[in-house]
Amino acid sequence: MDKQAQITLLLEGTYPYVRGGVSSWVHQIIQGMPEFSFAVIFIGSCPEDYGKMLYEFPDNVVHFECHYLQASWQMKPPARVAENKEAYAKSRKLHDLFQVPKAKLPNKLVADVLSSLGEKKGITHENFLYSRCSWDNISRAYERYSQDPSFLNYFWTVRSMHAPLFMLTEVARTVPLTPVIHSISTGYAGLLGAMIKNRSPNSYYLLSEHGIYSKERKIDLAQASWISDGELAHAEGVIMENGFLRDMWIRFFEVLSQLTYQATDKIFSLYEGNQLRQINDGADFSKTAVIANGISLERYKDALSKRPPGIPMVIGLIGRVVPIKDIKTFIRTIHRVRDDIPEIEGWIIGPEEEDPEYASECHQLTETLGLKDTVKFLGFQNVPEILPKLGLMALTSISEAQPLVILEAYAAGVPCVCTDVGSCREMVEGGQEPGDRELGPSGAIVNMADPESAARECVRLLGNSELWHQQQQAAIQRVKQFYTEEKMFQRYRDLYRDSLAIAEEAQEWPA
Amino acid sequence: MAGIGFELRKILERNNYTSTLQAYFYAGIISSGPWVLSIVSMLLVGIISIKRFSDTQELSYFLVTVTYLMAGSLVMTGGTQLLLTRFIADRMYEKRNDLILPNTMGALALTAVIAALAAGPAVCLLFPDKNLYFRLLTFTAFVILNCLWLAVIFLSGLKAYNRILLTMAIGYTTVVILSALLSNYQAEGLMLAFVVGHALILFAFMNEIFRAFPGDKLLSFDFLKRCNIHPSLFFIGLAFYLGIWSDKFIFWFNPITSEATAGYLRSSVIYDIPIFLAYLTIIPGMAVFLVRFETDFAENYSRFYDAIREHQPLKTIQYNKQLMVDSVRQGILEILKIQSLTVILLFVWTRELLSWLGISYYYETLLQVDMVGVGIQVIMLAVMNVLFYLDRRKEALQLSLVFLGSNTLFTLASQKTNPAFFGYGFVIAVTLTTIIGLLMISRILRDLEYETFMLRN
Repeated sequence: MDKQAQITLLLEGTYPYVRGGVSSWVHQIIQGMPEFSFAVIFIGSCPEDYGKMLYEFPDNVVHFECHYLQASWQMKPPARVAENKEAYAKSRKLHDLFQVPKAKLPNKLVADVLSSLGEKKGITHENFLYSRCSWDNISRAYERYSQDPSFLNYFWTVRSMHAPLFMLTEVARTVPLTPVIHSISTGYAGLLGAMIKNRSPNSYYLLSEHGIYSKERKIDLAQASWISDGELAHAEGVIMENGFLRDMWIRFFEVLSQLTYQATDKIFSLYEGNQLRQINDGADFSKTAVIANGISLERYKDALSKRPPGIPMVIGLIGRVVPIKDIKTFIRTIHRVRDDIPEIEGWIIGPEEEDPEYASECHQLTETLGLKDTVKFLGFQNVPEILPKLGLMALTSISEAQPLVILEAYAAGVPCVCTDVGSCREMVEGGQEPGDRELGPSGAIVNMADPESAARECVRLLGNSELWHQQQQAAIQRVKQFYTEEKMFQRYRDLYRDSLAIAEEAQEWPA
Repeated sequence: MAGIGFELRKILERNNYTSTLQAYFYAGIISSGPWVLSIVSMLLVGIISIKRFSDTQELSYFLVTVTYLMAGSLVMTGGTQLLLTRFIADRMYEKRNDLILPNTMGALALTAVIAALAAGPAVCLLFPDKNLYFRLLTFTAFVILNCLWLAVIFLSGLKAYNRILLTMAIGYTTVVILSALLSNYQAEGLMLAFVVGHALILFAFMNEIFRAFPGDKLLSFDFLKRCNIHPSLFFIGLAFYLGIWSDKFIFWFNPITSEATAGYLRSSVIYDIPIFLAYLTIIPGMAVFLVRFETDFAENYSRFYDAIREHQPLKTIQYNKQLMVDSVRQGILEILKIQSLTVILLFVWTRELLSWLGISYYYETLLQVDMVGVGIQVIMLAVMNVLFYLDRRKEALQLSLVFLGSNTLFTLASQKTNPAFFGYGFVIAVTLTTIIGLLMISRILRDLEYETFMLRN
């Protein structure tokens, strides 16, 4: 470890400490491209939230740093400190622009403010906490913008919100510079990228967003308590019941995204829907592009060859038993399908521990509808082994990004009936890339929470062998042509190569 | 004096002329009671026994010794007094009243030991012309006084001001009566009266403390633990009391302005009488001080912090601060007004008053200068009070040191000039300290929201 890396990966709350789609994707990328060397910068909330490292770094990870946002809430003892009026005036100007949604942030101003952060002669964490200028800015902003009467709440919200920025600026100052910076989200990691780019303008800054950060934070804030430490503990209750402060946090995360989008050279999303959302949130259209996830066809070769002749009268749903997957609609769909195909079976393949209450509701519904022998809860299963036994896959989710299970089903020759969420429509009916739509549909798209039409589509496909086989071929072709791991690797390999070339042309980098 | 505001407020709320007068009267007694009682009682002892003594030597011997006992015990306990006031307030705020009794005992025991260690050698060395009885009595008086000042602190925590006053009145009456009966026995007799009267007060107070505070432990020294106290308070109290006495000490120890009156103890006849008389003139100012700062200011002070705690808008917080600022301004103006009025009236009648008291008109000028000085000292007290409320220990310490330093410096300087300038050193020091203090609180109050949010959390 600790050689000069070519690419800095900025990871917030994910690889190598947290399991999940994004983490395995990152691991896949690093492992799949041994020709590049990586520096991994992990940003987490606090050390206690993470256990041991869940992935072993491949040899091409040459540098690794962990930083925790919570550390920034430990304050030094109060003292009057020197302050820079000009830096605060600029910050105030920028904050006035933050208040205007979708306002274009002048690059010079953003750069000035970012580089003044943590600078002795600019805005340090200390003088943000203790200086008169800082107080004037906060109380002025409160008078102008706050719709929440409590000054105390506003004050602490502003403090908690900004504290991590000073920690990030410290990281940006010390991190080894590399020709390419690649952030896997906006948010704090994205902002860190913007700070590094500000320090090293010749670095080429890439962003790949799987979900949309600001949207995810919005869901978090609406749902529950992602805040649980230090000073924020008292704010937790407040934020939940307080619309204005919640909006303030949402706006804060939107601004983080906006700052990230402005600093990056290229922005990638998994599918068109997210691309549009990024543009809507302030990303420059010309910087954006879609790179879909891919899977290794090798893993599913057997699954395809093991398929029995004919169509198994089994509809499967692969996913956790949680409300977001809308398992109940799946159960009702099977109930309707049984009217036409009495021998039908519905398999729910996925763990039930996450939301035991919801899981038991699903079991109850199964019994109420008299589906005890028709719907089976199989728990966690080996996917390549179970796929050949399915005739159809149904996905009733109310929210998805780009579900890998669809690609897995395709690779194993199983057409899919899906709700119109995330990139499902592109994956079922074909996307923008030339030749994709011509393959024809590899399943059907139905409305959310509509068992009637879902059942209709299932019956139509299962009952028509010719149509089914046609769609199966489309599915196999689609995943082969557009959604392979090799294809995704190729895109990123080219991207890294081009980015490195641009950065290396601009300046000499230490080897 | 925490809690007195509530009593005063009750009287003021009746909202008529008599009730207002009553509140100020009450406040005057409460705030000035103990030291007025002690000065008046000593005056009375003097007036009564002067006829009994063939020469006034013995009387002076007694009075000077008592002055030293008072000065010594107040300076020695000054730091501890402040330290314990805060310690008790904090414990009461935590609702740990059970800790107060054992710590009272601890503090009294410790103080008594220290006082004894200091007084033992002192009484042996200082009174070569006196017998063992006098020395023992003086020794006892010193230990009792030290304990007494601390007991008052613990009792003030109870807000039993009426009872404190009544007890002290009984005690001092005892001193006066006994001294009349015992004056045949020279200074020893007077000292015995002094000791008996004060012992009576101390035992009454102790009884009160035992009755009022629960506790299953008898002795505790929690008040010495760093986590329970603010040591800077000790130094504030020490410096402040030293400051109050430093001009007197200087006059006593300068051979030109003093003479050895009681053994090796020196006193300054020209300086002492006017200043002690002058202290009797600040009763009106002290009354205003108490009413204004313990009701208006204290209320607005808690409103300000309540506004923050209760999640009020910044405008409300600022408005409440403004109210607080106004009450400080008004309080100080009122003290200034009432004290000026008192001083002007007394200026006119100074000579008559002196002759009525049987004191030489020779003291007129110095008494007048001292009256101005002690009047300003009331404002200085008000300023210190505001600093304590706002918990500005650093500034309070600076201010006490300024007072100690300037009183020492200007008093020394005034002695270098001619006697017409005696007393001016004290006046200049008090005025300077008060002005600096006013500038301090004006800056603190101006930045209060900023400092409360940004610097104190």
